[in-house]
Amino acid sequence: MTAWNLRPIASALWRNRTGALLVAFQIAIGLAVLVNAVYIVKQRVEKISRPTGMDTANMIFVASAGFARDFDYDASWREDIATLRAIPGVQAASVISNIPLSGGGSSSGFQARPGETNPEKTVPGNTYLIDEQGVDALGITLSAGRAFEPQEILPPTPTFDAASQAIVTKAFAKSLFPDDPNPLGKTFFDGLSRPITIVGVIEHMHGAWVSWDKLDHVVLFPRIKTGPSAIYVVRAEPGRQDAVMREIEAKLGDSNPGRLMRWVRPMSYFIEQSYLDDRNMAIFLVSVTGVLLAVTALGIFGLATFNVSTRIRQIGTRRAVGARRMDIVRHFLVENWMVTTAGVVVGCAGALAVGYWLSVKYQLPRLDLYYLVGGVLAIWLIGLLAAWQPARRASAISPAVATRTV
Amino acid sequence: MLEMNGISKIYRTDLIETHALRNFSLKVGDGEFVAVTGPSGSGKTTFMNVAGLLESFDTGSYKLDGADVSRLSDEQRSRLRNEKIGFIFQSFNLIPDLDIYDNVDVPLRYRRLAAKDRDQRIKSALEVVGLSSRMHHMPSQLSGGQQQRAAIARALAGDPRFLLADEPTGNVDSLMARQVMDLLEQINEMGTTIIMVTHDPELARRAHRNVHIVDGQISDFRPYEPRAEIEAAAVAHGPAPMTMTPA
Ligand SMILES: Nc1ncnc2c1ncn2[C@@H]1O[C@H](COP(=O)(O)OP(=O)(O)OP(=O)(O)O)[C@@H](O)[C@H]1O
Ligand SMILES: [Mg+2]
Repeated sequence: MTAWNLRPIASALWRNRTGALLVAFQIAIGLAVLVNAVYIVKQRVEKISRPTGMDTANMIFVASAGFARDFDYDASWREDIATLRAIPGVQAASVISNIPLSGGGSSSGFQARPGETNPEKTVPGNTYLIDEQGVDALGITLSAGRAFEPQEILPPTPTFDAASQAIVTKAFAKSLFPDDPNPLGKTFFDGLSRPITIVGVIEHMHGAWVSWDKLDHVVLFPRIKTGPSAIYVVRAEPGRQDAVMREIEAKLGDSNPGRLMRWVRPMSYFIEQSYLDDRNMAIFLVSVTGVLLAVTALGIFGLATFNVSTRIRQIGTRRAVGARRMDIVRHFLVENWMVTTAGVVVGCAGALAVGYWLSVKYQLPRLDLYYLVGGVLAIWLIGLLAAWQPARRASAISPAVATRTV
Repeated sequence: MLEMNGISKIYRTDLIETHALRNFSLKVGDGEFVAVTGPSGSGKTTFMNVAGLLESFDTGSYKLDGADVSRLSDEQRSRLRNEKIGFIFQSFNLIPDLDIYDNVDVPLRYRRLAAKDRDQRIKSALEVVGLSSRMHHMPSQLSGGQQQRAAIARALAGDPRFLLADEPTGNVDSLMARQVMDLLEQINEMGTTIIMVTHDPELARRAHRNVHIVDGQISDFRPYEPRAEIEAAAVAHGPAPMTMTPA
C-alpha cells in the first residue's frame, strides 16, 4: 500500500478541507436522493408494467351516445355489434359497461354467506357487464369454467346490474373463499343477498382503478349495459388494430343518424391516462436525479481540476523525484475517492433517513439495502469518471516544471 | 558516471527556436563535485534537466552510470530519477501540505520501500541535515535555509549516486548559503557525485571543477580557479578528476 500514499494524501487533504467538504456534502445529498429516487421510480415502473391479464395491445373501445328522441337503444347496439363483428380483422366484440384500467368503473361488495353483517367479510369487486363475446374481446384467460353463452345474456336494467351467474378473477375468489382452491360452481352473494354462481374463473385481470389494491378483484356479469350510451370492446387480430379502428370509424360513423359516435380509441390510450401521474412522477424523479448527479459530477470535476491547477509545481516535483505518470493519476484518483467516500458515508445515513421518512409519511415500502449498495457503487464510479480527465491532465505535466517554475 | 556527447536541445515555440544546448559534451567522473556557471539564459538549467532525465534532448548521446539513457521510456526515466538521482531546487519545492517527515518520504514511497526502511532513511537523512527536531513541522514553519536543508534530506534519503542542484543557494542568505554548501561538500565526501549550478563565485571555487556554459556550449574561458586545481597546483600531485571537452 506504500505507493498508494493513503496517509499522506489524507493528511494533505485534511489541511485543505474546505472545498473537499463542500463537494463531499454535495455527494452525500446526491446519494441520498439518487437511492430513494431510483427506488421510487422502480416501484412506479413495476406498477406501470404489471400484467393486466388482458390483450391490451389489440383492444379497441368504441363509445356511442344515442341522443334522438326516438332513439332505439336495443336495436342500435344489436346493429353495432353485428357490424363490428363483421369487420375483417375483428376477433371478437362485446358490449361492455365500463373500460378497464380507465379510472372509471363500478364496484360492489360481495359476500360468501347471505346476510353477512361483518363488513370485514365483504369483498369488493370491480364489476363489468359483458356479452357472450366479452371474455374473448377482453382477451382474458379462463383457468376454469367457461365464458357466457348467448342465451345467458340479460337485457339492460336501470336498477341493479348483477346477475345470477358470474365469471370472477382468481384473486377475487381467493378473498371470498380463502380456504377453497377451486371456486368454480360455488355461490356467493351480492349486497342484497341474491345468490350468484361462479361459472368461470379468470386467471388474472385488472379492473378500473390502477392505484386500488383490489385492482385484480374483477367480477363479470352476463348483461347488456344500460342505454342510451353504449361502450363496445373490440379485439383486433394482432397487427390489425389501426386498420380495424379506421374501418370502425367508417362503418359506424354515420350508420345511425339517431346517435353520435363519440370516439374510437385503443386500449393504450386509457392505460396511459391512468398511469399518467405515475409516469410523470417517474420522469420528474429521473430528471431531478440526473441533474443532481450531473451537478455532483461537475463539483467533483471542478475540485479535481482546481487541485491539479494549483499544484502544478508540486506535481512536477513529484515527477522529478520519481513518480511515474501512473502514480500521479493514482494520486488524484485516490484523493478524489477519499472525498467521494466521505460524502458516501454521510450520504448513506441520509439515504436511510430519507427512506424512513418516505416510508412513514407516504406508506412506501422501506428502502431496499441493495439500492444503497448500488447507489454507493454508482457514486464511486461517477467520482472516478469525473476525476479521470483532471488526473490525466496532471500526469501529463512535465517533470521539468520542477526547475522552471518559480 | 555521466557522459554527454554532442547533445543538442532545441526549444521550439511558434515564434522562435531556441538552441538551449548545442553540441554539448561533458564527462563527469565518479565522486566529482562540479560547479556549473554561466550567464543567465546560457543553458545551465537545460543542461541540468537533461542530465537529470527531466527533459529529453534532440541529438547526441548520454550515458549515465555506464548505461545509455537516450532512448528510455517515460517510466524507465522516472525510475532512474527515483533511484539514482537526487534533485535540489532553487526554490526548495517542498510540498506545502506535507510536514518535513512526509516530504522526505515522497521519493521513498515512489520506490515502494517498506515502512520500516523508509522511516530509518528519513530519520537519518534529517539527522544529516540537522533537522531531526523539526520533522513534524510544516515547510511554512521553517526558514529558507531550513527548508533547503529539508529538501537536501529528501534528495539524500534515497541514497542517490548523483545529486543535481540548480542554484541551491539562490533563495537563501549568504550565511545559510555557506551552510548549504558545507552540507553538500559533506555529502560529496561520502561519495555522492554532485553537479551544482551557481552564480556565486565563492561557492563555485569550492567545487573540484568548474564548467562554464555560454550560449549552450561549454566555454574555455574559466572565470574562477576551482579548488581542485589550486590544490593540485599547490601539492603538485593527484590528478584533477576532470575531463572537459570543449565543443
Ligand atoms: N520551455 C522552454 N521553452 C522555450 N524556451 C526555453 C524553455 N526553457 C528554456 N528556454 C530557453 O532556453 C535557454 C536556456 O535556458 P536555461 O533555463 O537553461 O538558462 P539558465 O542558464 O538556466 O538561465 P538562468 O541562469 O537565468 O537560470 C533560454 O534562452 C531560455 O529562454
Ligand atoms: Mg536556470
